Amino acid sequence: MKNIVQAVLMAATVWALTTSALASDKVLNLYIWSEYIPDEVVADFSKKTGIKVNISTYDSNEAMYAKVKLVGKGYDIVVPSSDFVGLMRREGLLLPIDTKKIPHFSLVAPRFVNQSFDPNNGYSIPYMWGSTSIAVNTELLPKETITKAVDLWKPELKGRLIMPNDLREVIGIGLKTLGYSINETNPEHLEKAYQQLQKLMPNIRVFDSDSPKQALLAGEVAAGLVYNGEAFIANSENPAITYIYPPEGFSLWLDSFCIPKGAEHLEAAYAFMDYVLTPKVSAAISEAMGYSSPNTKAITLLPEAMKKNSIVNPSPEMVAQGEFLDHLDADTLKLYEQYWVQLKTH
Amino acid sequence: MKNSSRFRQLLIGSTYTWMVVLALIPYLILFIASFLLPGDDQLVQSGLSFSNYQHLISPAVFSMARSSILLAGVAALLCLLVGYPFAYILAQSSAKVQPLMLLLVMIPFWTNSLIRTYALVMMLKANGVINQVLMALGLIEMPLQLMYTQTAVFIGLVYTLLPFMILPLYAALKAVDPRLVEAGRDLGANWLNTFFRITVPLTTPGIIAGCMLVFLPALGMFYVADVLGGARSMLLGNYIRDQFLIYRNIPMGAAASVTMTVAMGLMLLLYFFASKRLNREAMQ
Amino acid sequence: MSRRLKWIYAGLVYAFLYLPLVVVAIFSFNDSKYSLAWHGFTLRWYEKLWHNSSLMSAALNSLLIAGCAATLATLMGTVAAFIMHQYRFPGRKLLFGSLFVMMMSPDIVIAISLLLLFLALHLPLGFPTLLVAHAVLCVPFVATTVYSRFHGFQRDILDAAKDLGADEYQVFRFIVIPLALPAVVGGWLLSFTLSLDDVIISFFTTGPDFEVLPLRIYSMVRLGIKPDVNALCVVMMGITIVALVLSRTLLKEKE
Repeated sequence: MKNIVQAVLMAATVWALTTSALASDKVLNLYIWSEYIPDEVVADFSKKTGIKVNISTYDSNEAMYAKVKLVGKGYDIVVPSSDFVGLMRREGLLLPIDTKKIPHFSLVAPRFVNQSFDPNNGYSIPYMWGSTSIAVNTELLPKETITKAVDLWKPELKGRLIMPNDLREVIGIGLKTLGYSINETNPEHLEKAYQQLQKLMPNIRVFDSDSPKQALLAGEVAAGLVYNGEAFIANSENPAITYIYPPEGFSLWLDSFCIPKGAEHLEAAYAFMDYVLTPKVSAAISEAMGYSSPNTKAITLLPEAMKKNSIVNPSPEMVAQGEFLDHLDADTLKLYEQYWVQLKTH
Repeated sequence: MKNSSRFRQLLIGSTYTWMVVLALIPYLILFIASFLLPGDDQLVQSGLSFSNYQHLISPAVFSMARSSILLAGVAALLCLLVGYPFAYILAQSSAKVQPLMLLLVMIPFWTNSLIRTYALVMMLKANGVINQVLMALGLIEMPLQLMYTQTAVFIGLVYTLLPFMILPLYAALKAVDPRLVEAGRDLGANWLNTFFRITVPLTTPGIIAGCMLVFLPALGMFYVADVLGGARSMLLGNYIRDQFLIYRNIPMGAAASVTMTVAMGLMLLLYFFASKRLNREAMQ
Repeated sequence: MSRRLKWIYAGLVYAFLYLPLVVVAIFSFNDSKYSLAWHGFTLRWYEKLWHNSSLMSAALNSLLIAGCAATLATLMGTVAAFIMHQYRFPGRKLLFGSLFVMMMSPDIVIAISLLLLFLALHLPLGFPTLLVAHAVLCVPFVATTVYSRFHGFQRDILDAAKDLGADEYQVFRFIVIPLALPAVVGGWLLSFTLSLDDVIISFFTTGPDFEVLPLRIYSMVRLGIKPDVNALCVVMMGITIVALVLSRTLLKEKE
């Protein structure tokens, strides 16, 4: 047993030695969603600048936020979604960003800058964006069954819908069908949305935010609210699965680069953000990942098929109906929580 | 003798240190946090309050607790029903193949559970392996609805938790003295009789250990139920995770976790006292 | 039970355990970016895996941490089970209680409370903190398994050894450990499995430069699990089985 203890101690020492050797200045600690940046892009950046990139990954904004807030150091760039940019900015978890140091920032389309969650983009640089809207399997449902968000309430859809397992998205669609904002804080409006959603519950067969394409492609559900990335994959496997943008509106998400407080490699962080915004790189990322780039020049460099695909690149008029998720104050979040728990326990 | 007591002190001392530093202190931090309130900028606000616990007394939380206990209980029972015969066969087979058979049970579990859960989805879904095989054989005409049902959830739970039942049962069965079973046979009892009147009672500690290893972790588990069951209802595990992550309310999550632990602890104590008393009465 | 019935039953349980893995293996040869429907045979995911050094290093990190954590947990858990069964000392019930608490705490609770402890102690997050956290997770599982085995012991063996002049170390080393071996091995295997599969505790207790496999796989779900992960699982399973066969043939030769 002594040998085992020795072996464990040895392993720990080796680890300590190798990591202290790595802590040199030409390093960037990138904290990002998994598979959210192509390996080739990172390798090319390292080759051009001599900066070594350490990638750590997370699977939800909430988890990333908790870790950054509790630990407070170790990461130079994080990639939160719009609502978490708002939250982290207000809580002082982010360092201000000087956009003048990022020449390519001027290429970002106007509709992605200066949003409520970060006015003047003092803290965030847009990286990738998309939407959460309605996917329909036209093999199982006639096309005209669902053209608006409120059509999801139709009785013939009983037990045939999929929804994200996410309170903001589900309560958001309830709010949208009533004509309210997805960032609604008025308790009366929220109560109305809850009553509306109670009537939707019998139609919902599955809540899944991780891989809703599975249920759609297997024909387990006929329609539902999904991320456009999921719809894109489902559509490429089965073209009968279409994606619509309802006239009532839908939610948009935008993931941005931010520099968390406690970052130690600011120069490297700026260099990386500017590198990613060069049109060629942005286009390569968008093509490899299947998500849309906010970079106007990058879109012109995409292959025709992708440029025209309205799941990935909807027209500006379509996007105009969408609304970005922003963070909610603690009291409002409590209300959302209460309604979400009630929906799921009744 | 001096050596002996020093050895004993070393063992007790190291276990104590481990438990106090790595189990009691962290849990104590959470226990204290459960009486605080979440802060806007700080993690917690100062000032004691019982409001977190008051919030827990609600029909929604009771309904979550009921479904969690039911799910974990049925999972433990199913694992026992599937696992006991298997562990019995394992313990009875020749000593040479036993390590191999045991390892063969464990190897599937070294593949990531997420990958395995999605592999189960591939088998159970409407156009999945099971339905396609059954339709090809002409046994069914329409695909069976297996996904997003209770059945799917229980299949998933047994699939995830089975080794936690098999290993303690196997260890307990190995400890049964074969001479006792033989004695039973010699006295004219048939196989069923010796099994239920000698083997099973002798392995009760193993059965209890196995049920605890399955039941207790299953109480806080929600992933399998969400993926295979469709996440239409909420379990205690969801609730506690959401408090910590989504609602950023560490005190509330801590309170829920403490309450769950205390409630389960009381139930188990009650069970042990009751069974001890029953045993004593039966002896008399 | 008749012999044949026994083997049929064991075979069914093994089939239940292995069939989903066969599906994983088949789809690692699927010529499509997504493991959703069959698109033809390819080996390109294995090629891609070979070049995906970060995935490979995460897998190696996972194996390293699982091996170390399982060993540490088995050591601590066996000792805890032994003293709780063998000795009467103040606070024995407290030990029982804390094992119970640890076992039923959801992983997020263990994760956050340990993270708060590590932060309070100013420990840098990385391999050592991850190792300790995984061991903490596994100790109750080992202790419960081993403790239940001690119940089957006849105490007179231990007393006899003591009467013959064995000290407590000798009793532990030469009688208790060999007798409890099936449970100790079982506890190690359970711990190894738990550690290899843990996500939440790993997420909160590791640092930027030590990533483990489950973290990568879980965060991959949003964009779909890539077939090179399936390929990785097949390779890992293949290595395990080859190692198993090799060790058995080597042992046989020794005999």
